[in-house]
Amino acid sequence: MEVKISVQGLNAWFGSKQALKDISLDILEKKITAIIGPSGCGKSTLIRCLNRMHEVVPGARVSGKVLLNGKNIYEGDVDPVDIRRRVGMVFQKPNPFPTMSVYENVAAGLLLNGIRDKNRLSEIVEKSLKQAALLEEVKHELHKSGASLSGGQQQRLCIARALAVEPEVILMDEPCSDLDPIATVKIEDLITELKREYTVVIVTHNMQQAARVSDYTAFLYLGKLIEYDDTARLFEKPQKELTERYITGRFG
Amino acid sequence: MVREAFDRKLASIREDVLKMGSYAKDCVLLSMQSLKEQNLELVEKICKIEEESDLLNFNVEERCLKLAALQQPVARDMRFIATMINISGNFERICDLAVKITEITRKTIGRPLLKPLIDIPRMAETVGEMLDIDLEAIAQQRSVAAEELAKRDDFIDSLYQQVYNELLTFMMKDPRSIDDATDLLFVAIYLERIGDIVAKTGARVIYMVEGKRVWIK
Repeated sequence: MEVKISVQGLNAWFGSKQALKDISLDILEKKITAIIGPSGCGKSTLIRCLNRMHEVVPGARVSGKVLLNGKNIYEGDVDPVDIRRRVGMVFQKPNPFPTMSVYENVAAGLLLNGIRDKNRLSEIVEKSLKQAALLEEVKHELHKSGASLSGGQQQRLCIARALAVEPEVILMDEPCSDLDPIATVKIEDLITELKREYTVVIVTHNMQQAARVSDYTAFLYLGKLIEYDDTARLFEKPQKELTERYITGRFG
Repeated sequence: MVREAFDRKLASIREDVLKMGSYAKDCVLLSMQSLKEQNLELVEKICKIEEESDLLNFNVEERCLKLAALQQPVARDMRFIATMINISGNFERICDLAVKITEITRKTIGRPLLKPLIDIPRMAETVGEMLDIDLEAIAQQRSVAAEELAKRDDFIDSLYQQVYNELLTFMMKDPRSIDDATDLLFVAIYLERIGDIVAKTGARVIYMVEGKRVWIK
């Protein structure tokens, strides 16, 4: 199995507050890796370090390495914008561009990257919406506002938007937290499909979700990586007592 | 402490499975006593215990499945619930096999057994020892000593072989003894099977506590 992203000795700060402490783990290609842990443990900070989103926060900094296909994304010659295209992100709250149509939402990244040919744009928009399991629901309403869709549809639109620019990795920060159970199931099914072509890293508060969809699970606590293992093994027989206490709900 | 209510439910399931374990031990030892003494009262007692074991098995399984559905247990809790369902079924099966021994007791009432019972009661006693090992481990929530179970299971197997050889000799010498010899052979078979079930129960306890899958042979 190939390593897609190798995190090596990663530390992250918000000003003087250290949010991540010496994190090292390998994220495998075309697998789904879940990151779990209590609130404030550094889950979102970790994934934001994987596509250089952490540094946009004033006062934020990192040390250590994040190797994407063997190259450290924090080296001086790396373009962070390119990294954010290759390592796309989907957020907790669906955030389609409110003034744009469904079509325009998906095409936005392509236009920014200089693709102008209308046929090419339509082809990619259709492909992305299909990959995001949304095409059938919106194919006759591509010019409707993205904001007019339901919550679950909006989230799939955001996924389509990320897919349109042909990422290698998709980061998802609690993608189902704001969704109802039916929409959640659809997103989870989609995530399982996406790993055929993409590497997926998902932060989730929902341990059952992590158990359902992921191949590997990393447990973070107070900024440290406590345990990282095959999901089935971690949920059947965790190696660390702290992991056992957290996943069995006996924290506190 | 968090999840107190859940822990109480798990403890209650453990208590009932221990109760089933003691039913299983009672059934095995009483079935031996009933056969030796040709005691119909004991036979009735065993059948009543078996009925209670059936009901309790159903109840334990139902509670475990409910907890699985409602609490989404993982890790130790999940292994515990899966093991309790399995072990509860094992103990109920042991009671069933003990009832089969009582059917032979009923059949032999009023006439002497083909031969004095020596090895067959030793098989039953050893089963009792194995059950004690399992039940103590479950009660104390620790692993079993696999070698202790394996040793005793092997001993039961060797006694079974002795009984088999001896009864075969009887049958070859005197075909009129086939019916009586077969009855005793079935008793030995049931006890040998019970020994296997108890050994497998021990393996499940190891899985429950340590998360390791072992075979006890």
